[in-house]
Amino acid sequence: MENNKIMIDYKHRQAGHCESGATSNLFNFHGVEMSEPMAFGIGNGLYFSYLPFLKLQFAPMLSFRNLPNTVFHRSMKYLGVDATVIKNFKEPKESMAVLDQNLEKGIPTGMQVGVFNLTFFPPEYRMHYNMHNIVAFGREGNDYWVSDTVMEFPQRISFEDLQRVRWAKGAFAPKGKMYWINNVRKELDIKSAVEKGIKKTVYEMIKIPFPLIGVKGIHWLAKDLKKWPKKHGNETASFYLGQIIRMSEDFGTGGAGFRYIYGAFLKEAGEKFNNPDLLAASVLMGHAANHWREFTYIGARNCKNRSKPEEDYGKLSEMLHEIADMEKEVYVKLDKIKI
Amino acid sequence: MEEESNPVYKNQSYGQFRELFYSYGADGSFEKRVGYHGESDRVTLQQAWDLFNDRIEEARMKVKAGLASPILYYMEKTLVTPMDLSMHAGIMVWRVKRHLKPKVFNRLSEKTLKKYTDAFNITLEQLKNVD
Repeated sequence: MENNKIMIDYKHRQAGHCESGATSNLFNFHGVEMSEPMAFGIGNGLYFSYLPFLKLQFAPMLSFRNLPNTVFHRSMKYLGVDATVIKNFKEPKESMAVLDQNLEKGIPTGMQVGVFNLTFFPPEYRMHYNMHNIVAFGREGNDYWVSDTVMEFPQRISFEDLQRVRWAKGAFAPKGKMYWINNVRKELDIKSAVEKGIKKTVYEMIKIPFPLIGVKGIHWLAKDLKKWPKKHGNETASFYLGQIIRMSEDFGTGGAGFRYIYGAFLKEAGEKFNNPDLLAASVLMGHAANHWREFTYIGARNCKNRSKPEEDYGKLSEMLHEIADMEKEVYVKLDKIKI
Repeated sequence: MEEESNPVYKNQSYGQFRELFYSYGADGSFEKRVGYHGESDRVTLQQAWDLFNDRIEEARMKVKAGLASPILYYMEKTLVTPMDLSMHAGIMVWRVKRHLKPKVFNRLSEKTLKKYTDAFNITLEQLKNVD
């Protein structure tokens, strides 16, 4: 192994969500001040889907975020930034060689990785989840320096381990996917990007004619939640409920299934463009997010005492319906906004 | 950003990791805070791992009793279903399911076993002997 040391002057800042954190850090590296919520909002991070016919770790699959790489891809598109995304490689060796070339050129490079074999991750979080993102910014001998925005500090990972996580298999396999920014124009049209970002998110949350996605998906989940104890028994029902809570609070979500981050985005945009409607929407989003947190807090009691539920599932289901209505109010409001 | 001490969960490794959380205050501001996971997150994570560990233990018993092949044990240990394992190892699902029988497992070729050891990231020695 060659023993030369490469270190790019890349500032690691901790963030709530891995991909929008990575995107905002990459922007900062190229001299554009961009906060994490801003990247998250412009890149349509917010989402909801409930897919009961698919199972993730033995419980129904649901997601509070968009597909991997959406945040980076869309924020680049809406802001008109020159960026490169390599969707997949044929050979693991090739993907590592391209990474090395980039580091030699001084380009910090983002990568999609699987969590299961990520050595610096706490063992309890290592599940088969292939939508994590890290940014490599240095190499020292056989080790790479990577910035994982969920972690507090930059981490070291060996060549073999990095190759393994980049080629993790299973659903949403990363296949060595990597992305980086080539260069950024000095004057970015943030206003129109925000407008496009909000429009797309509104479309995805209330206008897709499919019942399992967006606000309709939350209603569907609420309906199902009520039936779980009878259908599967208390043990399993509480495990499924635990899955909702895990997906909304763990895995670097910033809390309440990204709703806080989106609220922060609306507030920041509202202040930037002096728009009272956006500020009002951010308040509504904040309340909805607080409700999500309350739901997880109350729901967790059922998970603690698994065979005898302390809380009525009917009540929890009511809460979810309420949250869905609150969120819908935000999106309907955003739909009419002119920035 | 405020500091927090977390003496209770120091023995669990996720107790030592701090994450960034957002919150919404009554005054209408969104705040960032670096801290440890709250009670409800721990409960649900613990619940998941209790279930996984039960399944792993059950699989170990089965393998020891000769009712299942070691593949079942490692499958549960790496938290995958036969469907996932089929993708990880590149072997068709019905074959993976068949390989869970000890009788079939004992007849497997080196080539097939290698596919499994690569998928589980273990040695052949480990695959054949479940501790």
